[in-house]
Amino acid sequence: MTADSLRGIEGSIIFASRPTPDFTMTDPSQAPPPAEPFEALLAPVLDRAYALAYHLSRSRDDAEDLVQEAALQAFRAFHQFRPGTNFRAWYLHILTNCFFAQYRKRKREPRTLNIEDAEPLYLYSRTRELGMHEKTPDPASAVLGKLGEDQVHAAIQALPEEYRVVCALYFVEELAYQEIAGVLRCPVGTVRSRLHRGRKLLQKELWAAAREHGIVTAKAAPERVE
Amino acid sequence: MSPIDRYNCEETFRRLDDFLDRHLSPEEIRLVQEHLDTCGQCASEYAFEESVLRNVRAKLQRIKAPDDLLSRVRQALERERGGGRPSGSR
Repeated sequence: MTADSLRGIEGSIIFASRPTPDFTMTDPSQAPPPAEPFEALLAPVLDRAYALAYHLSRSRDDAEDLVQEAALQAFRAFHQFRPGTNFRAWYLHILTNCFFAQYRKRKREPRTLNIEDAEPLYLYSRTRELGMHEKTPDPASAVLGKLGEDQVHAAIQALPEEYRVVCALYFVEELAYQEIAGVLRCPVGTVRSRLHRGRKLLQKELWAAAREHGIVTAKAAPERVE
Repeated sequence: MSPIDRYNCEETFRRLDDFLDRHLSPEEIRLVQEHLDTCGQCASEYAFEESVLRNVRAKLQRIKAPDDLLSRVRQALERERGGGRPSGSR
């Protein structure tokens, strides 16, 4: 697939400045037969796609619209999809483009986070300062396990867009660097650096949430978890 | 030039994220793993980061699409088929 072959898809191709890689990241044995209907390919990826759309748009209503609009665009361009290649990555590329083209301006972007003071191993250092590493064999779970899903969702949604998109593809979709680069049409090095920073920022947000919700305090760490 | 036969803490730390994601060459993976096997501090940092990744993924992936989303998508596709709109038109 090339950038030219995607021009029939509505919405601009944001990362189309370089040749588009083929979506051939999956095991060929998992590839669908050529005659498989569009819906049969779409249905298994819909839950994760919705989760991704939710973290991109930061709105459940927008996420539903985004998944549906991307499905329509993918359906219209389905003749360009090559059977045997990665349908999920192809659909997610359309979904992220749809987000960039139509949804990104609907909601105010989060406050600007200070990237510089999100040090490496942020959570590790904070939990160690509280003496948690001597109290539990898994201090990360002791903190994160007590955070609610909504609080973790809010933490990733607080990231600036350039980090949020890459982190969502990584954490939610579990795509490899090369696959994320394929979805976003950007160099693998860009994915790596954004993910590296995004992880640090996310840890900082998660720690702030744990403090805010009383999961950790300066005086007392959570009880031991098994 | 002789090949590197072991990583120190700094070299391992720089590769921690990539090791977590197995985004290293087989030789780099071997060198990082060998260091983690002999350095308790780096092994502790790695185990922590691995746990963070596991916990965050578990929470983020638990979100489910509304039950009727697939049926609504199918209805939209049916309308698209029935409408006979040319590809790309709105």
